[in-house]
Amino acid sequence: MPEGAPAIAVRDLRKLYGSKAAVDGLTLTVPRGCFFGFLGPNGAGKTTTIRMLMGLAPPTSGSIEMLGLAMPAHALEIKRRIGLVPDESVLFDRLTGAEFLEFAGRMYGIERATAAERGSELLELFELDNAGGRLIAQYSKGMRKRLAMAAALIHRPELFLMDEPFEGVDAVGARLMKDLLVEQVRRGATIFLTSHVLEVVERLCDRVAIIHEGKLVVEGSMAELHSGSETLEDAFVRLVGAERVLDRLDWL
Amino acid sequence: MPTQIRAILWAQWRSFRNAMPGGARAGDVFGGLVALVWYGIWAALGAAASISLAHATREMLAAALPWVLTAVFVYWQLAPVLTASLGASLDFKKLAVYPVPERQFFTIEVALRLTTAFEMLLVLTGILIGLLRNPLVPAWGPPVAVLAFIVFNLFLAAGLRSLLERLLAYRVLRELLVLALVLAAAVPQLLAYTGVPPWLRSAFGGGLPAAWPWPAAAAVALGDGPAMSAPLLAGWVAAAYLFGRRQFARGMRFDAAAAESAGRARGGRRWTALFYRLPRLLFADPLAALIEKELRSLSRSPRFRLVFLMGFTFGFVIWLPLFRSHGSSLALFPVIVSCYALLLMAEVVFWNMFGFDRSSAQLYFYAPIRVWMVLAAKSLAAAMFVFVEIGMVLAMSALTGIPLSPAVVLETYVVALVLSEYLLAAGNLSSLYYPRAVNPDHSWGRASRGRFQLILLFLFPLLALPVALAYAARYWLQSGTAFAGGLALAAALGALLYRASLASASRVAEARKEKVLSALAEAAGPVVAH
Repeated sequence: MPEGAPAIAVRDLRKLYGSKAAVDGLTLTVPRGCFFGFLGPNGAGKTTTIRMLMGLAPPTSGSIEMLGLAMPAHALEIKRRIGLVPDESVLFDRLTGAEFLEFAGRMYGIERATAAERGSELLELFELDNAGGRLIAQYSKGMRKRLAMAAALIHRPELFLMDEPFEGVDAVGARLMKDLLVEQVRRGATIFLTSHVLEVVERLCDRVAIIHEGKLVVEGSMAELHSGSETLEDAFVRLVGAERVLDRLDWL
Repeated sequence: MPTQIRAILWAQWRSFRNAMPGGARAGDVFGGLVALVWYGIWAALGAAASISLAHATREMLAAALPWVLTAVFVYWQLAPVLTASLGASLDFKKLAVYPVPERQFFTIEVALRLTTAFEMLLVLTGILIGLLRNPLVPAWGPPVAVLAFIVFNLFLAAGLRSLLERLLAYRVLRELLVLALVLAAAVPQLLAYTGVPPWLRSAFGGGLPAAWPWPAAAAVALGDGPAMSAPLLAGWVAAAYLFGRRQFARGMRFDAAAAESAGRARGGRRWTALFYRLPRLLFADPLAALIEKELRSLSRSPRFRLVFLMGFTFGFVIWLPLFRSHGSSLALFPVIVSCYALLLMAEVVFWNMFGFDRSSAQLYFYAPIRVWMVLAAKSLAAAMFVFVEIGMVLAMSALTGIPLSPAVVLETYVVALVLSEYLLAAGNLSSLYYPRAVNPDHSWGRASRGRFQLILLFLFPLLALPVALAYAARYWLQSGTAFAGGLALAAALGALLYRASLASASRVAEARKEKVLSALAEAAGPVVAH
């Protein structure tokens, strides 16, 4: 891998569903070692972008490079070095938490014993050790997210792609996950996350990009994005906010 | 074996074991017994093949073996399609995130094709043993030929499955394709009753062309011209591998969501909008809203549309030759096809009413409505579709020149609706006792739990008994009045039964709601069965 290559470099990325462009000419560079927030309203194209980055949905046009390697030509090598926390579950309901982590580790080529050992440590780290023997079907939404995050860490990836990682996670769990992510960035990993919790993004991220209706609206450092006393939420609403219809709804 | 393949197999084994805590239940034992009988029949067929082939002359073998292998091939490749089950496959939605080389996934997928035609493995084992016992056949031939033939079928089945899955992702194409495949199932029956047409007879009069895979495999098995037949068979295996691998690779890169959206319909048509609004004219909310929701969601579900379409097409093709060949009176034809259509629709609209709602079924339990109202709405929506379905059967009958008097039309409607009463009564309870999440976008597959399928075998004739008794009264007493009286009695009994089942289901729903919701939210392991 070229040493100076960015963690993610996408050029003129486009994804069409029928005649509708879910992602429309997205060009974006995420430097290595960066905590990058990828924001946008519902249906803006965030999940589609992450799915294309992971090679799960082929782009209609445009190019993707991850860790200096072209996708999909080097998909296997890229997947080996990425940790994914997707928006929808990739967990198998009829496995226990411990079994799933062992499975995930082995899928990344880790020896069975090592995968089981790491799995057990991760369960403890994510405070799931009491639930490790229970079927995933019995997990709450927050527990599932924590388990997905644990699975994403098991092979020590260099780059994390996370779609709404804090959704449904309680305050304690969210704090734990945030600390862990900050620690990962400190050791040199790159994090690319989407979240609707703008306070979290504001506190954690170095750089932010906002996408709206498939198009990149703005990209820059946190300082560049909002000026003066304006919060990230203010900037976000200013850039993608719709007309306030609330005033018209008398009955509400 | 590579680590990832071992990991997938291990995870599947764990999922399987975790899914059955506390030993086997009565339903599982029953299902096991039926499986034993089913595979026992095929094993017996294999044994019969073994005995016959062991004592056959070379001429008999040369004449019969290519056809036997053709039959095995047809069953292997078509049975999964025609029985609406593509067998087990990997859940790529979840596995695609891992760095697993495509060839490893392909290896597992090829091995999983064994699950779609285990019956044929039993038959081929019988054939192998029979040929090995026959002193006229060289010992090296049968193992080589049977093994190559199995590998050929596995590769081809893997490729066909990938190809079908991709084609089925396109909304309109999906239904047309499945309908065409399902109608193809009626071809042997049509041929049996109409006779083989002369062009087909002349095409195969001299036996199967030697270059085809089945005669080639038979020739290798018998040691006939190995210098020619062995490379030919190897060529077929290689071609099947290339086809399978190419289709599988294309399937891995295929974006189903994009394909799905490409064929998405824009807006509704006027007549369907009128159909959806009908409940508003007849009932008050929330019942009307619930019925309207059912009508809209069912008519947009590929699974439902397929069975609805099959009722008056497949049913027609299956039953018409039977009636014509036996010279039976065609007066009963629309009734029989309608009852068959109900049987097809039953799995989707009667037995597992909450299946398509999946997790969203919880709405019925937290919204301020009674569960009986939800069940009644689903029943009324089903009855409306039954009404339309019968109309389609009658229209098809009229188009094909089947005599339709007002009495026949009335009889068809009354019988179908009375039978529906019984099916709905049973469905109210089965939907709560045997709920199962069903993907409405999957055009085929089972909509109810395996053990319930078996119960249905006995339940359906039982539920049809009151209507059958009305016909028996007409037959024995030669009286239309007796028939009408019998039907009226069956309708009244059905109404009482429906009412009782609705009341019982309302009570059961409260006690079982947690189990129902958990069953409707259930997902599986790395391998999913369709």
